[in-house]
Amino acid sequence: MRKRVLIASLLIAGLPLIAVSKQKQKESVKEEEVMAVLKSGLDQDPRFAWKLNQDESQKICSKYPSREAMPAKEIQRVMELEAKNIKYPQWGIYWGDWNEGKKLVNSSRGGRFATYGFSDKPTDKGGNCYACHLIEKGVPGGTMGPQLTGYGKRYGITKENMNTPEGLEKLKTVYNIIYNAWSLYPCSSMPRFGYHGALTPEDIINIATFLLHPDSPVNK
Amino acid sequence: MGKKAILLSAVLTSLLGAGFVGYKHAKAQDQELSPEEEIRLVQEFNRMLAEGINPGEIWAEMGKEAFKKYNLDKCDFGLGPGKIEGALAQLPRYFPDAKKVMDLETRIGWCLQQYAGMTPDQVKKFAKECWGKRQCMGEYDAIVMYISMASNGYKINVNLKDPQVKRMYEIGKRIYYTRLGPWDFNCATCHAGQKEARIRATRLWSADRPGEAGKAVSIFPKYLVRWSQPMTMHYRYAECIRQMRWPTFEPHSDLAVALSTFLYATGNGTEIKVPGIGR
Repeated sequence: MRKRVLIASLLIAGLPLIAVSKQKQKESVKEEEVMAVLKSGLDQDPRFAWKLNQDESQKICSKYPSREAMPAKEIQRVMELEAKNIKYPQWGIYWGDWNEGKKLVNSSRGGRFATYGFSDKPTDKGGNCYACHLIEKGVPGGTMGPQLTGYGKRYGITKENMNTPEGLEKLKTVYNIIYNAWSLYPCSSMPRFGYHGALTPEDIINIATFLLHPDSPVNK
Repeated sequence: MGKKAILLSAVLTSLLGAGFVGYKHAKAQDQELSPEEEIRLVQEFNRMLAEGINPGEIWAEMGKEAFKKYNLDKCDFGLGPGKIEGALAQLPRYFPDAKKVMDLETRIGWCLQQYAGMTPDQVKKFAKECWGKRQCMGEYDAIVMYISMASNGYKINVNLKDPQVKRMYEIGKRIYYTRLGPWDFNCATCHAGQKEARIRATRLWSADRPGEAGKAVSIFPKYLVRWSQPMTMHYRYAECIRQMRWPTFEPHSDLAVALSTFLYATGNGTEIKVPGIGR
């Protein structure tokens, strides 16, 4: 009996709470308001205004705290949008220069720009891949992205098969991930390097070669 | 007085020592460290911790002077004019005189305009004096350090029942998850999720793991051994946003207040321990 009274009183007390929380959801802030506050704190130099234009994929990704929280429909939408955003080098997919790729993997300077005493030029290139990935054995790296040590070897690329259609297809897959990670992993942490123009198709071929080529230190 | 002199000399010695550790060639602060430099730095950091030295404390001494020099004793940080004990713990809050929610640094900026006769541009220049530098002793950083240290031992208690504060909290939360810029980052790219992750050698705190946001904000301003100078909260935002490749961050903006409101409120209940010390 006492329990029943308790439950009843809890229910009665709970009703207005539910009503209040519903009302609060309606009052939540509007998108324009969020963007206005965000822009208020950033340099208004018109040369960089393009950096603040959200594209459709960014808008979708901003709605969810993680990919696990995304509905399948939204995941599909981002993949569809981004698959269209991949361009290939003039001569199609080919094995590039892994030495050049290594330089780009190492550099942390790509795309940085700040006016307070730093000398970063917007033209500086690089993917800063070590920030998030472990790549060469013995070189410290981050753990935000998957480990890429021995990537080509693990992916089954050998001197014999690297120039076969299957070998080139594997190179193309890795190219796609670097060019536009969201075409395969929507809303992941990895920037869409090629789509934003931070790296050219040739740069990306060189990075993919560095990761996959049997002669590259990554696969030693 | 004697004790103070000893403290000052100890701090200065370690400041010089820290400046010497590595960095002959590394001028810009975005240089990645070599493993040897990294190890030396960690050793230096651990030595300072073991000896109970935090060179950041020297800024508080300087800040005490600057606080008076710029008439900040007239400034109300939420507890009445000039009262700074525990002030940081209840910020950000709504200030009727400015008709705005403000965090500590935004409030200092506002008061510098009201009581020290600075223009908004002068205030921003003052706040950014040490940005991108090493071994820089700026008066602004000193003021922030002095006021923040007066809240040591208090627990962060942002009043989310105030609708204005709550609104800033909601905006800050939305900004935290906004994907933007040429590298598609948001704050959550690095600082969210249950899985523990590292960027190079640095372990990242996550807003989703209980207590970590509080631990991150409760130690600001934080003395950085690699720069031999403290870093204020707004400078920290600027550094993050620079790494996110967004346009340059402006201190004392609503963006800063929204982020502070979200982060400090998430850290509610955490004891303030200033200055923090880090590599």
